[in-house]
Amino acid sequence: MASPSPLPKRNSDFLGLKKELPPRRNWLLGAASFLLPLVLWSIVSYVPWLWHPLVHVTDAGEVEMFSEGMDLPRADFDRANTQAVTEGLTPGKGVRVNPVYLPAPHEVARAFYTAFTTPPRLPGEPWLHQSLWHSIKVIASGFLLSSLVGVPLGILCGSFRFFSRLHEPFIEFFRYLPAPAFGALCVAMLGIHDAPKVAIIFIGTFFQQVLVIANTVRKVDPGLIEAAQTLGASRRKLVTRVIIPSSIPEIFTDMRILLGWAWTYLIVAEIIGATSGLTWFINQQARYRNFDNVYAAICLIGFIGLGTDILLAKLGTLIFPWRRRNRGPSFLGSLISRLIKPLKKSISNAGSATAPATVTTPTPTPAAADTPPSA
Amino acid sequence: MNASPLASSTDYRTQDPAVADRFKRLYQRPVILTVDNLRKDFGSNGTTRTVFDNLSFNIHRREFITVIGPSGCGKSTFIRIAAGLDDASGGQILLDGQPVSGPGPDRGMVFQGYTLFPWLTVKRNVMFGLEMRGKDKSTAENEAGLWLDMVGLSKFENSYPHELSGGMKQRVAIARALANEPRVLIMDEPFGALDAQTRAQMQSYLLQIWRKVDVTILFITHDLDEACYLSDRILVLGTNPGRVVEFIENPVPRPRSPAQCTSPEFQALKHRLEELIHPPVEIEEQQLPMVRLTEAGDDVE
Repeated sequence: MASPSPLPKRNSDFLGLKKELPPRRNWLLGAASFLLPLVLWSIVSYVPWLWHPLVHVTDAGEVEMFSEGMDLPRADFDRANTQAVTEGLTPGKGVRVNPVYLPAPHEVARAFYTAFTTPPRLPGEPWLHQSLWHSIKVIASGFLLSSLVGVPLGILCGSFRFFSRLHEPFIEFFRYLPAPAFGALCVAMLGIHDAPKVAIIFIGTFFQQVLVIANTVRKVDPGLIEAAQTLGASRRKLVTRVIIPSSIPEIFTDMRILLGWAWTYLIVAEIIGATSGLTWFINQQARYRNFDNVYAAICLIGFIGLGTDILLAKLGTLIFPWRRRNRGPSFLGSLISRLIKPLKKSISNAGSATAPATVTTPTPTPAAADTPPSA
Repeated sequence: MNASPLASSTDYRTQDPAVADRFKRLYQRPVILTVDNLRKDFGSNGTTRTVFDNLSFNIHRREFITVIGPSGCGKSTFIRIAAGLDDASGGQILLDGQPVSGPGPDRGMVFQGYTLFPWLTVKRNVMFGLEMRGKDKSTAENEAGLWLDMVGLSKFENSYPHELSGGMKQRVAIARALANEPRVLIMDEPFGALDAQTRAQMQSYLLQIWRKVDVTILFITHDLDEACYLSDRILVLGTNPGRVVEFIENPVPRPRSPAQCTSPEFQALKHRLEELIHPPVEIEEQQLPMVRLTEAGDDVE
């Protein structure tokens, strides 16, 4: 027989079906998911013979139609140069470039910084951070207003057949009406400033919210409700003490997804009436053909969305301790938990019995499970 | 099944004088639960199916009743009606002479699926019923502490249910139900999901608890050993339609211990239950149309 083969290396399988990956690898893959598109973008931007359909004229030579700094299609550039040579004129010189609407990564990265530091062109116009803050205010008001009504209504519909039948058919109908279609109406009713924008986000969020939350609430384990009934819970207590606490973690997840949808309505909402916020900034920069700034602003929305989502997910594990399982924390997750640990400590020190001090929950050992009761 | 010689020589109806005397005293206790002509139909568009009919019997205070029966006899339906989670189609159940309608804290229930509230710690789970009945928080906390002591889980009072093993979860569920001081504790195959060892342990815990607490237990199981080991009387239900086949007085003397499983009374009782639950029908072994896939001579039997 051959010498015993070395023990198979643990976690060597990258493509295990439905297998958890070790945290470090999870993290690396997460980073790679961002790197991959970035690498593609870089290749298209920096490898001169890939695409680059235009020529940026650096030296016009004696060609009449060229002027320094202009971009023109390669074929036109070549034709003009060949003609110039046959006519005995000095041909122009140029470098191959991508169209102005595809700036290179470093240009966008620079724009990310300069967009915040460059004052607006006209004195009355807002800075980027002011536009951003305006957008956040609009989305937050729309989403909060919607949640204020939508969450309780969703819980009622999910808990009681009566409310479900009374409200859901109409809401089901209304959610198919595209929110932007109400733009003109909202402006007519609410003026041209922020009110119609908030209304569009409300319309876009509210109807989905009621249905999604009602469905989540309907999924509450009926066994828990029956158990509570045999323990003497009244109907009202069943809602407040069983249905709501049992579905609140899922409702929280629903809200995260709905908040993502609200961001997509933001851009529509901001064009309605007087254009404002990030959309105004994006449109303005596109008009000046500062496409690097346009990309920077679009990426900004992505980062804010992703950032809030990760923060909320982390907040979820903090406020719903019974949901924690021993899963490897993500890099961002562990970073955030390190940041909020002191806060958490002060909460548990404040005497709340429901907040244990550690994130990872110890599982009882089998020996402990077999401890006989004290007679 | 090979009937042991003990089972054939001892009748399950023969009782030791001490056991007979105990039953006499037991029947002098007040009746706590009366089931009177109970009927349940399941109906869907015109056609109704009767799950059980003419269910009538009495249960006395602090009796330990186990309910067994083949699947489809409606034992779970009966217990759900007793708990008030389902409505009867006819007849009624009286608790202390009062007709039962809807679930209430006077009938505690322990489910097979534990049904602990995952968002509450063990202690808060036990406090739930007490708070529902309007006890203030500190009283509820004290009482919950006592009940957790009784089931031996005070160390885990601040754990969440998902951190406990199955047996521990079910002990919490029992403590939670008992904390309400119910007149009747209804248990629906509570140990069905547990492994054999934990199950045996839970059975002895339950007997210890029952001895110490003023509670009548109505316990559903499909495990005949469990039914024999725990009960005072065994309610045997039949199918098509569901009915009381026999209400057997358990001849095994108390206090019980696992060693009694081999005693003649125990074997006789179990033998009788087997006859009732699985009537002796010849099950012919069906020959599967298999071709031989192993080499000749490579036999396992």
